[in-house]
Amino acid sequence: MHPNEDALNGYAEGSLAPAEAAEVERHVISCVSCRQLVDDLRDILRATADLDLQDPPARAWTRIERAIQLDGDGGARAFQAGEAEADTAARDGARSFQPSDVGAAARLKGSRFLLPWLAAAAALVLATMIGLRYTPGQSPSGARSQTTASGGAQVSAGDAAQSVENELRQAEAHYENAIKGLEQIANAEQNALDPRTAATLQKNLAVIDQAINESRAAIRSQPASEPAQQSLMENFKTKIALLQDTVALINEMRKGNEAGAARIVSGLKQKGN
Amino acid sequence: MDLVARCRAGDVEAFETLYREHAARLYTLACRMAGSREDGEDLLQEIFLQAHRKLGSFKDDSSIGTWLDRLALNHCLDYVRSRRAKMNKLTDTLDAETSFEPTARRDTPIARMDLERAVERLPEGCREAFVLHDVEGFDHKEVADLLGIAEGTSKSQVFKARMKLRGFLRGK
Repeated sequence: MHPNEDALNGYAEGSLAPAEAAEVERHVISCVSCRQLVDDLRDILRATADLDLQDPPARAWTRIERAIQLDGDGGARAFQAGEAEADTAARDGARSFQPSDVGAAARLKGSRFLLPWLAAAAALVLATMIGLRYTPGQSPSGARSQTTASGGAQVSAGDAAQSVENELRQAEAHYENAIKGLEQIANAEQNALDPRTAATLQKNLAVIDQAINESRAAIRSQPASEPAQQSLMENFKTKIALLQDTVALINEMRKGNEAGAARIVSGLKQKGN
Repeated sequence: MDLVARCRAGDVEAFETLYREHAARLYTLACRMAGSREDGEDLLQEIFLQAHRKLGSFKDDSSIGTWLDRLALNHCLDYVRSRRAKMNKLTDTLDAETSFEPTARRDTPIARMDLERAVERLPEGCREAFVLHDVEGFDHKEVADLLGIAEGTSKSQVFKARMKLRGFLRGK
């Protein structure tokens, strides 16, 4: 009889008492499948111990800096108040915000500069952060529940499907708005980029647009398909991420921060490969 | 003036330095807990925004790195719990796939990127338990407390995660 999963796991990670370890070992020596399992578990444990840290994309700091600036202006709080239903974590963050010992003016003291279009980008970035955690198969408001608040009556399957479709449409509209805004910014400021980088960005955007079109076509033929919905949302996210990279890159070029710009371009190249 | 004091005084460049020193560690945790780089990036932004807001509550006698780690872990756990509540499930979908049968041998060591991608593919529930136990080094009692599950569930979720990873990595 094979040892149970606890024993094999414990044996693989070396956490068993000596007597139990010896008992498992006797079995493992004579049982090919258990020996192979233990070897595999040890491989996974070794590889897990060797996992590296991952660097965030270069745009991440730009997003954070803008969010902080907006926060200092009170803009994030106002925005979050309006979007409070969208995301529990964001809602908690908004609620927990108290004017601290660091006032708005002090917060902005160390900041570099903020062009008007950057403020717009910051709002868009916050919109993507706070409002767009749509997961196919569940509503943004967490409505997997099949009961109504008043009487606990079952909602019909047709109503639920309609609700999912409406929420998908809303999420799509949020994404499209964010994309439109970011595209306006990126297009207006594109002369800040060198032609080769601009061409690479355009090429990548065209690939993503194609993927979005394909996802839409899949949803049209199978409106209830969760993989198709998931794919559409992922493609929107990818496009927003690329546009955010573009805006971050333009910002670094304008600031004359060559190291920051190089970090972003390097990230773009890696994604393109 | 030290870095934290400069951050508290509103120096954004100091905050950027703080970010550069700690971002990779917190981003890695966030990505692994969330199961995607996109969500990990969003979480990282929320973590640093929260850190900026709460720096006033940081006690100077502790390490800023430890404080950020705790803030990040709590934020990731809030996210996981919130998502789990929405999904209304703690995955148990792996039972059918937990096989002791011999599978094709793998002759090469597991590549880090393969494992990283495989971790992202783990289902919710076992992924968080795996990340907290096998990657972050919490014991099962601590994982159980952090995730609000029984200790036995933590053990079984970690085992399921390892089995699932075995399947992903063999299937390559």
